[in-house]
Amino acid sequence: MSNLDKYKQCFMTSFTIDESAFEKNIEYNSIPAWDSIGHMSLVADLEEVFEISMDIDDIIEFSSYNKGIEILMKYEVSI
Amino acid sequence: MSIFDNPIAAKKLISFRKAVMKNDGLIGTKQRGIDINLNNACNLKCRHCFTNSPLNDHITERLSNDTLARISDEAHDQGIFEYDLQGGELLMKPKLLFEALEAIRPERFYLYVTTNGYRLDRDIAKKLKAAKVSRVSVSIDSMEAEVHDDFRGRVGSWQRAIEALEHVKAVGIEPYLNITVGHYNALSDDVENMLKYSKSKGYTTLVNVATPGGLWKNVTEVMVDEQDKEHLLKKRKEYGNVLRNLWNPFDQESEKLLGCNTVNRLYITPLGDVLVCPYVHIKIGNIYENSLKEISEEGFRYKPFHDNSQLCLAGEDRDFVKKYLTNYGTSIFKPELASDIFSQEDMVNPKDLIFKSHNPNFPKVSTI
Repeated sequence: MSNLDKYKQCFMTSFTIDESAFEKNIEYNSIPAWDSIGHMSLVADLEEVFEISMDIDDIIEFSSYNKGIEILMKYEVSI
Repeated sequence: MSIFDNPIAAKKLISFRKAVMKNDGLIGTKQRGIDINLNNACNLKCRHCFTNSPLNDHITERLSNDTLARISDEAHDQGIFEYDLQGGELLMKPKLLFEALEAIRPERFYLYVTTNGYRLDRDIAKKLKAAKVSRVSVSIDSMEAEVHDDFRGRVGSWQRAIEALEHVKAVGIEPYLNITVGHYNALSDDVENMLKYSKSKGYTTLVNVATPGGLWKNVTEVMVDEQDKEHLLKKRKEYGNVLRNLWNPFDQESEKLLGCNTVNRLYITPLGDVLVCPYVHIKIGNIYENSLKEISEEGFRYKPFHDNSQLCLAGEDRDFVKKYLTNYGTSIFKPELASDIFSQEDMVNPKDLIFKSHNPNFPKVSTI
């Protein structure tokens, strides 16, 4: 599975969404499941899947699907 | 909890979530929370009080601020993210509460205060916000004022509780409406009305099931049965804002259970005794004698607390209650001693012990 597939899978698992949701940039609070608890579930999944531990600042900055891709680059994860 | 308001606690919650997912969605031995009875004095006389406040049981004792500071440091090191301050009624002595909050350093936790709301006005709400309290839980027993007041033993207590929640929300603290559900009311219109009210106001509803302890010692008739439990699960799905500590909060389908939180969520009395849960009055140590980590590890040596239970031990497991909690009727000040009531066959084989009470990646206290 590519990093992109893994990345999308984390969103799909955390928020119970399908591929069609990625047609636009998903943002924090733009879908009901992406609330605080959903956000922490997503971060937990990403950390687990990519074997990283995100800094608090990055967890807070992670405000959208696209922003997340940028942030993961800091952890040497290329999407 | 908003991650943006409380990033340190959020980081710990993420760790908790990862541990739960690795353990097939079950809580395992990962520490979660701590409930501290700061002082047992109370201005109400609730019929179901599990701390015996209406009997003036140990109402003068309290944990010192130095002790609170130490417990809090230990709790943080263990990865504990939920911190519940309760009584008694803490707002009877606000000065002591705010001094305690300063000692605890709430910025490290998702800290909440559980209150009957009687003395929670706008001014107090603002002070709680300034003191970095993340949430306030206010207990409501009915949407009929007279029923609630009668249950709580004071006229006007319902109105004050309802207003307290509004003050909490107005100042930007998360409001939780706590309800106690037992066999006597689980299927009632009153519980339905409380759920509807909470949802309409944008609160979160926390359900505690009734337990046969404290003033209700040995009153096992209050315990929910299978039909009641199914009904609660149905309401969980229907409303979307209903929580129980037993339930998995990460499950998007609102179906799965974490399991009973005994030892994962410790209860500390004003005497420093550590019980496995506010409602399972079994003592596993005292914070004046051992560290929180040592006490937690001691607690998880016992199978009933180490192994996953899909039942709330105090509120749903009738076999457990009958076997361990009805000797003379327990209270938080007269708990059973774990080392007395459990036999060798109740102990976990040392090679099977799994402790998840420490994560070395948490921000160290000195760097905060």
